[in-house]
Amino acid sequence: MQQEVEKYSKPTRILHWVHLVSFCILFLTGLVLFVPGLGVIAQDSWTRVIHRVAAVIFILAPIIYVPMNWKATLKGVKEAFSWSAADIGWLKAAPRYYFLGDETGMPPQGSMNTGQRLWWLIVLVSGVIFTITGLVMWFAKTTAPAAVLQWMVFFHDVAFIVAGTMLLLHIYLGLLHPLMTEAWKAIYKGTVSVEYAKKHHAKWYEEVTRGKEVKS
Amino acid sequence: MAEKAILYDATRCTACRGCQAACKQWNENDEFIPTVENGVQSVNRGSYENPPDLSPTTWLKMEFREVTPDGKVRWLFNRRSCMHCTDAGCVKVCPSGALYHHELGFVAYDKDICTGCGYCEDACPFDVPRYERNFVSGIAKMDKCTFCTTPGLDRIAGGWEPACVKTCPPDALQYGDRDQLVAEGKKRVEALIAKGWTNANLYGEKELGGLHVMYVLDDHPAVYGLPVDPQISAATIAWQDVIQPIGWVVGGLTILGLGFNYLVARANINREKEKKDAARS
Repeated sequence: MQQEVEKYSKPTRILHWVHLVSFCILFLTGLVLFVPGLGVIAQDSWTRVIHRVAAVIFILAPIIYVPMNWKATLKGVKEAFSWSAADIGWLKAAPRYYFLGDETGMPPQGSMNTGQRLWWLIVLVSGVIFTITGLVMWFAKTTAPAAVLQWMVFFHDVAFIVAGTMLLLHIYLGLLHPLMTEAWKAIYKGTVSVEYAKKHHAKWYEEVTRGKEVKS
Repeated sequence: MAEKAILYDATRCTACRGCQAACKQWNENDEFIPTVENGVQSVNRGSYENPPDLSPTTWLKMEFREVTPDGKVRWLFNRRSCMHCTDAGCVKVCPSGALYHHELGFVAYDKDICTGCGYCEDACPFDVPRYERNFVSGIAKMDKCTFCTTPGLDRIAGGWEPACVKTCPPDALQYGDRDQLVAEGKKRVEALIAKGWTNANLYGEKELGGLHVMYVLDDHPAVYGLPVDPQISAATIAWQDVIQPIGWVVGGLTILGLGFNYLVARANINREKEKKDAARS
């Protein structure tokens, strides 16, 4: 049997799925206000009720996760903001890899590669923007000045466009891309094969074997 | 078809509020009684003006204003309702098309498909749309003047003038082709100027691409509490004309790009596999 190594702990996987499902619901119930042809679906506000229920889950999930998983949180946030010259190397090598399956020229990666870290950064930043602008629209609708509310919608929309399109990319890479054979297993069962780890997350695997790594 | 409009002559208005009552009656908004429960306190505010504000069941109200230029008190009346703009902020931001321009130019409203988002509330330069809203759930519906085109209560399709115009005793409200009313309004302004009202003006001829409710005023619009040079807000433009189109392009390109990537990557990876299989056998 192939040797496996743990990539994502159980709380992290649960957070991922709860957050993903709630975000997909938020995405779809928000989309009906973006696409004029779908506006009819939103009549009588029922999509807004669903949007708000999903929003509560979307906001509460990380709030519950963080105090229970301090170390993983700190490590994750740190990773989202640590960028280096190697990331440019990854970006240069990425098209050859994702289109042609050619891995030569890929610099060794940590537990998250450059693309994953970029998405993770978008998740963090857009999550904060969605939460703040959304709460203002929800709870200050009758009290805040019209201009403030309008800019809240604007930034909610910007975050939606960035995070929404990147969500499509994320789902595509996780489910459909012919090369992403281990992604599903990593986030569903929590493990990747040693062979895959060595090949795609060399720096991280080295840390794992030295026993230094913090579980994410 | 020629655009229709309402011309309100503030100098002829006696503030009888017949228009306010006719509006409620025709549009079946007559159930509204000011109570603390429905958010309106029936208190003496030192004015004959009532109710205090527009509401989901008050689409038109007369405003009373006391101003004292040159130490002399003037009691001014102003008609407050939807201005039916040509460049209408509400129509621009409405995501479902519930707010739309009627073929006769004014802003009609299909309440059935209103999603209750509240975007029009914040986009309106005249602060006109009013909501009934559940604070927690967000279930909401907007209401405003429909120019008497509410389905089932459509006076315009029946060839009649709006209820407010019909009832106006001093003919301070007129309904007709917009071009004719602009000419009529200008004539009135000239007559006022000739009488010594040097600040007289026609409000709404050019504002926001032309309003479909125009005002003959004997003084500066600000004196009547009307916004001078109203504009569609910067946020509306940044959101509707910049960000939304960018969103469509980014979203579309992403989906196309992913589809393209899938086809190329699959073909390449299959070819690699075949090569390997061939090498093995």
